[in-house]
Amino acid sequence: MNELSINRPRRRIVSKTIVRFFLLLWSAVVLYPVIWTFLTSLKDNQMVMLGKPWDLPSALRFENYSNVWNRAHFGDYFFNSLIVTVGSIALSMALAATTAYILARFRFKGRGLLYFAYIASMMIPTTLGLIPLFFLLSDLQLDNTLTGLVLVYSVGTIGILPFAIFFLIGFYQSLPKELEEAATIDGCTDYGIFFRIMLPLSKPGLITVGIMNTLTVWNEYIMATVLTNNPEKYTVPVGIAIMQAEMQYRTEWGPLFAGLAISMLPVILMYMIYQRQITGGLTAGALKG
Amino acid sequence: MKSKLRKKVTGGLALSLVLLALSGCGGNSANNNNQASESPSPSSSAAATEAPSGEAKISGDFEIQYFVGGYGDAWWKEMIGEFKAMYPDLNIKESAGSQINEQMKPRWIQGDPPDVVYIDGAGSNETQMVQDDQLMDITDWVKDAQNVDGENLVSNLIAPPQDYNGKNYTIPLVFGSWGTFYDAKLFEDKGWTVPTDWDSFLATSEKIKAEGINPYIHTGKYPYYIVGGLLNSGFVSENGDNAQILKDQEAAKENSFNNDAVRKTLEKVVEMRDKGLIDNASFGMNHTDSQMLFLQHKDAMIPNGLWLENEMSKDTPEGFKFGFIPSVMQNAGGKYVAIPYTSNIAIAKKAKNPEAAKAFIEFIFTKKAAVRWAELTGALMNVKADLETSSASDVVKTAMNYFNGSDTIVAPVFKLNADLEQAQNDATIALLQGTITADEWIDRMEKAAAKVRG
Amino acid sequence: MAAMTKKLRPASSWRRKLFMASFLLPTFVLFSVFTIYPLLRGLYLSFFDWSGGSETMSFIGMDNYKELFTDPIIPTAIANDYFLIFWKVILILLFAVFFAVALTRLKLKEYGFYRVVFFLPNIISVVVIGVLWSFIYNPSLGFLNAFLSLFTDTPVTTNWLGSAGSAIWSLLPPSVWAGIGFYMLLIIASILAIPSSLYEAASIDGAGEWKQFTTITMPLIWEQFKTSVIHITITTLNGSFIIVKLMTEGGPDNQTQVLGYYLYQMGFKQFHMSYGATIGVLILILSLLTTLILQRILHRETIEM
Repeated sequence: MNELSINRPRRRIVSKTIVRFFLLLWSAVVLYPVIWTFLTSLKDNQMVMLGKPWDLPSALRFENYSNVWNRAHFGDYFFNSLIVTVGSIALSMALAATTAYILARFRFKGRGLLYFAYIASMMIPTTLGLIPLFFLLSDLQLDNTLTGLVLVYSVGTIGILPFAIFFLIGFYQSLPKELEEAATIDGCTDYGIFFRIMLPLSKPGLITVGIMNTLTVWNEYIMATVLTNNPEKYTVPVGIAIMQAEMQYRTEWGPLFAGLAISMLPVILMYMIYQRQITGGLTAGALKG
Repeated sequence: MKSKLRKKVTGGLALSLVLLALSGCGGNSANNNNQASESPSPSSSAAATEAPSGEAKISGDFEIQYFVGGYGDAWWKEMIGEFKAMYPDLNIKESAGSQINEQMKPRWIQGDPPDVVYIDGAGSNETQMVQDDQLMDITDWVKDAQNVDGENLVSNLIAPPQDYNGKNYTIPLVFGSWGTFYDAKLFEDKGWTVPTDWDSFLATSEKIKAEGINPYIHTGKYPYYIVGGLLNSGFVSENGDNAQILKDQEAAKENSFNNDAVRKTLEKVVEMRDKGLIDNASFGMNHTDSQMLFLQHKDAMIPNGLWLENEMSKDTPEGFKFGFIPSVMQNAGGKYVAIPYTSNIAIAKKAKNPEAAKAFIEFIFTKKAAVRWAELTGALMNVKADLETSSASDVVKTAMNYFNGSDTIVAPVFKLNADLEQAQNDATIALLQGTITADEWIDRMEKAAAKVRG
Repeated sequence: MAAMTKKLRPASSWRRKLFMASFLLPTFVLFSVFTIYPLLRGLYLSFFDWSGGSETMSFIGMDNYKELFTDPIIPTAIANDYFLIFWKVILILLFAVFFAVALTRLKLKEYGFYRVVFFLPNIISVVVIGVLWSFIYNPSLGFLNAFLSLFTDTPVTTNWLGSAGSAIWSLLPPSVWAGIGFYMLLIIASILAIPSSLYEAASIDGAGEWKQFTTITMPLIWEQFKTSVIHITITTLNGSFIIVKLMTEGGPDNQTQVLGYYLYQMGFKQFHMSYGATIGVLILILSLLTTLILQRILHRETIEM
């Protein structure tokens, strides 16, 4: 990375300290809710209702977790969410990467129109497609199935496909075109160029988009609520929505937050593991150098 | 004129019967005598001819949709279990849960509804279901229907089946009333008088305020709490205790909002607002939060429904005592006004197994089931039953004392159209915030009503 | 765009055409079935009077669209939407650019830590965000008033979500809080793509940090900046309804009403599904128009490196 000339060291140290102060302040503002969620998940009702959210739990109620996992069937929901998320990310990435590659690197009639259609579809309000999608799924006999949910998430009106296409086009455009020329000289077919060169090179971009879309799918609940009415097919957000709705009549803060914590854990872990690739993926331009 | 009188009379009569049943002295026998004199002839013939053939018919698939909210699902599970034991050939499917209204919606649209539906909770609206032609016209059947104990079903009810231009589509299953709850322990400790009318309500509120406690909190995020617990009773009181005004509003009639009764009621609300008696925290607050403040003695009074005590049972501090008055808006010497609510059950118009649906309704509308309901939910089922030994909450029993007294008028059950209700919620909050005047409130409502009329 | 098209490879041979079709068609077919078809169905619905519950619906032509112009809540909702867009764009990008520059230009040891932590709100479910911020704003139990009371003689009892003046403002902090991380990463990425030689040269010429920021950083991240503005705009128009639903349900008296929530309220709570669909069409049109206008306003010559 770039070396900075250090000609005014003292001013730099002062400004660094001020900036650090803001960075630390923001870290606190961001971390507090996460810690708060985990703290609350270990509290009982009385503790929560005291209105002192920063207090530590007086007794750690780990049974909140086992209750939610077993009695509230979060174990099953978790498994469903996992299947749906993996399925929709795999499908949408495959569809988006191929299309984005063509749109980014080839000239053809209708290219602008196609590009516009995908980008504009990001602006379709999710709720507008809700009822039509339900009818569509039941016509295809896919209502109440995880397959149906995977299809709706991958290519339906929640917008993860256009986002992936939009993002990956930018990524492919940034790759030097000499790559293809060299590969053609080496005797690669079009498929070969894509699968052997372009796809591996776009791995950081794919991971970034994949993670962004995983967050969307993992947390999505409106579609899942309407499109599944069989408890065996519920996903984690539907489980949380149900718990939250029941909170109107029976306050159980601890278990609710245990459910929220369960839903947050996998994404936090995944982000910690892949955080380098995420920023790496966003740094596509750096490949140029 | 006649019909409103009849409604009031039947309402009052029904409630007094409940209370007699509740108090458990003489009421039972009176009730039983009543039945004994009424029912033998139809019951003996019907029971003899229909029951066996009916039983033979009750088989196949049968689906029940019920919302699970504050009342839980224990009662449903028990009833369905017993019903299944009675008809072992029946394959019963339960579609239940807190999101069930949203989840079943597409099936109703497709014409593939369940057989029986209990209409309650977010996303459900009975008036709309009737308008959408989703429910079975049960007018003729319900007239002579008998429960499994051979009693006339309708005459056992507290609130009669909802009337839609002379037709019935639903039967009320849950019965309760709105009112003002007060912190009885705090009132005792401080020596405050429990309000009996508007003037004493204001006087007591001023005293409470002087002690540094907020007199009145409401659920600002869901303004129908203060509409049900405060405004509606005012409309009736100021209308010379005539509850027809509420039925007119339900029908979105012209000038049902633009009249002196409404104007005077709103002026009282404005007076409350301007005297600073309403906790500023109310705005934007949901029911759980506002109820928590009430339980923590931060606010002395709250408009709410009879479910309150049961709903908050887990979070009620030791020693807290709920007090209940049906209304505070009546002028000196005026009567209390109780605004009732019900949650109803219905058969789908496209039910695939209407026989089983009817059998199920006949099965659940019994006194025994009503006692179980009270025991399992702490609330009231819409059937006159002896609850003396049951675990219905004290508040429910207190409320019943009021209803039975001659000092209380019980309004008919009514429910505004969804658009009107939304407009009323919005306007009421704006009035409480002081962003509109009483006249603007009236103007908004008349416009909304005109739009509903089309 | 024109500059880009020149570099593109033409679809010359049939073999290449086949290759391109095999990459484009599966996506497009599924996209048509699951996105375009539902959109058209929604559009079709907007010409009917349908409660969303009945099996039948009646054709009413443009009546729903006429209703849009007489419904007094529509202008309120549009104004609130653009209020949120305006402030979200300014606040999110101000923070995001500041953090991105701070993290890339000042070589901090704990750079990795901040990069991970600042992104956390994007991971948290919006349900948590809604519950959490409602807690913070709670007038009597909440964190904010308790904190402010430390500095005043009398306890602060401001009703943040319930007062006519403050309700819509109170929706901003949660949205900004949740939005910064993602855009910060995007901007970090484009800053890292700037060749370091440019900064070195500027330093030698005696340009300070601010000068470098205005003459090098901003112009070179402009494309990313523009994309971010448009992305915030679209996601706000389409997505702000969730935070509204969780925190205020459009209240008090529609002071926090936005088009997205109004669609939901009309379709699912007031039983005018077809009018809800009409509002959906309005959202789509506004998104398209706003994007086009923003493209115009924010257009600058792309700087070739």
